[in-house]
Amino acid sequence: MRNDLTHLPPASPDEIRAMVKRAGIDLPEELMEQFIATWPQFEAMVRRIPRGLGYADEPAHTFRPSRLAGD
Amino acid sequence: MDIAFLTIAELNRAYDWRELSPVEVTRALLDRIATHDHKLDSFIRVTEDVAITQAKTAEAELMAGRRRGPMHGIPYGLKDIVETAGIPTTGHSKLRQHHVPKADAEIVRRLKEGGGILVGKLATWEFANGGPSFDLPWPPARNPWDRERLPGGSSSGPGAAVAAGFVPVAIGTDTGGSIRGPAAVCGIAGLKPTYGRVSRRGVFPNTFTMDHIGPMTRSAEDIALMLQVIAGFDPADPGSEDCPVPDYTAALGGDLHGLRIGLVEGWHDAPGAHPDLGPAIAAAVAVLQGLGATVEPAQLSSLRDYTDCKTTISITELYTIHEQDLRTRPQDFGRILRNRILPGALIRAEDYQAALRWRTALAREQQVAFAQVDALITAAARNIADPAEPDRPDRLVTAPSITMPFSVSGVPAIAIPCGFSQAEGMPLSLQIAAAPMREATVLRLAHAYQQATDWHRRHPKLGE
Repeated sequence: MRNDLTHLPPASPDEIRAMVKRAGIDLPEELMEQFIATWPQFEAMVRRIPRGLGYADEPAHTFRPSRLAGD
Repeated sequence: MDIAFLTIAELNRAYDWRELSPVEVTRALLDRIATHDHKLDSFIRVTEDVAITQAKTAEAELMAGRRRGPMHGIPYGLKDIVETAGIPTTGHSKLRQHHVPKADAEIVRRLKEGGGILVGKLATWEFANGGPSFDLPWPPARNPWDRERLPGGSSSGPGAAVAAGFVPVAIGTDTGGSIRGPAAVCGIAGLKPTYGRVSRRGVFPNTFTMDHIGPMTRSAEDIALMLQVIAGFDPADPGSEDCPVPDYTAALGGDLHGLRIGLVEGWHDAPGAHPDLGPAIAAAVAVLQGLGATVEPAQLSSLRDYTDCKTTISITELYTIHEQDLRTRPQDFGRILRNRILPGALIRAEDYQAALRWRTALAREQQVAFAQVDALITAAARNIADPAEPDRPDRLVTAPSITMPFSVSGVPAIAIPCGFSQAEGMPLSLQIAAAPMREATVLRLAHAYQQATDWHRRHPKLGE
């Protein structure tokens, strides 16, 4: 069975407003209402991401300092 | 000879035989754009003066026997997120409506050096992401096969312009399918090269880790010719790969004996696909088998998995790119883009990292598959072009994408036409992918298929 976060309850409109405020974004009410209608799809998506990968399973990017020097 | 639908290869032959000249071809295409593009809105800006000047230069050089390469004297268009020195580059957005870059993108530099002729800047979804939008300074492009439908996105203008015979080739960009999707629903060819194969420098970013630049043409052979000019290492692009560029046209020709192909199960044939798609893909498989390839089933993770992984990464990076404008002038974005950017503000760092780690695992499963087969095939779109309806709900997250698996893995993938839907007469498309840097394998298969079929030689009528 996949280890993910789909068991969590969806955020309420008030919680979404609080998250947007905490992100430092001040939306007019009309735009906020559009976003409150949009966010649940994205929230469900993020919660489907599998968790608990092994420590050696690294992210799909690398930091290569030699490239920064134009090597 | 219908100049509008000559391929790059055919134009090169016509120049060699002095049957046509770059100025003659450019003027013919400019006339066609002036006559018909008001029906399609594929161009944001036609660069007529630039085009005529470059055509005259190319003509003089060709007449003098100086051939710069396969793009010499070939008209092309650029998706309007590709920066052009002195020519506005808008991103199809109010936010950059008056932006005039000081420098060319690296691909524009290469195309100039190769003698290409810039005909204009092409429509896109807002910043190659938000669309189809009807609340921007320019209307969305329309599909030449049916103007009541859209040409896909985000390379909407390139797809429409190439299919309509306005240009033989255009540059598109592809983060989750923005070259292959429009190519699929417009009935043309579109290649997303390997990540790092073509420089991103000077192209407005959609993400930092998934953007690809590539050609959109009417044949796989033309893809090879264009790719030859734009591919190669760019030390100023941190994602650019320093590896040799092979002779792509040398890979074309011959049969497919010895090639092994994996037909991915559960993608094109999952519920919700257009009913004519399955038979079209089955017919394409039969053609490839007839050419000598062996085709076997392949199993990979679901489209939903790939779409979730890609979209979590891309919206997080997208928000980073647009954060400042979103804080200060959110009303200047189109509704769709704004509502795609905003979720990125709420993605936690651990969610983003989890998606990046998942990306490694998903890319690795494809590498395992490519150890068994030379190429993977599926459809390039699960449905025909969408209707042009302003109030249609945004389906970015709700509908799994059949192009995103190869965006996640960064491997080369091409879309080529493989039929038409019976009821609507709209294009259907085959997608072919191969291991990283194996563009030659993708092109070999696509070219062989196109030598055995004529789907790519069918063109829409614009009311001539």
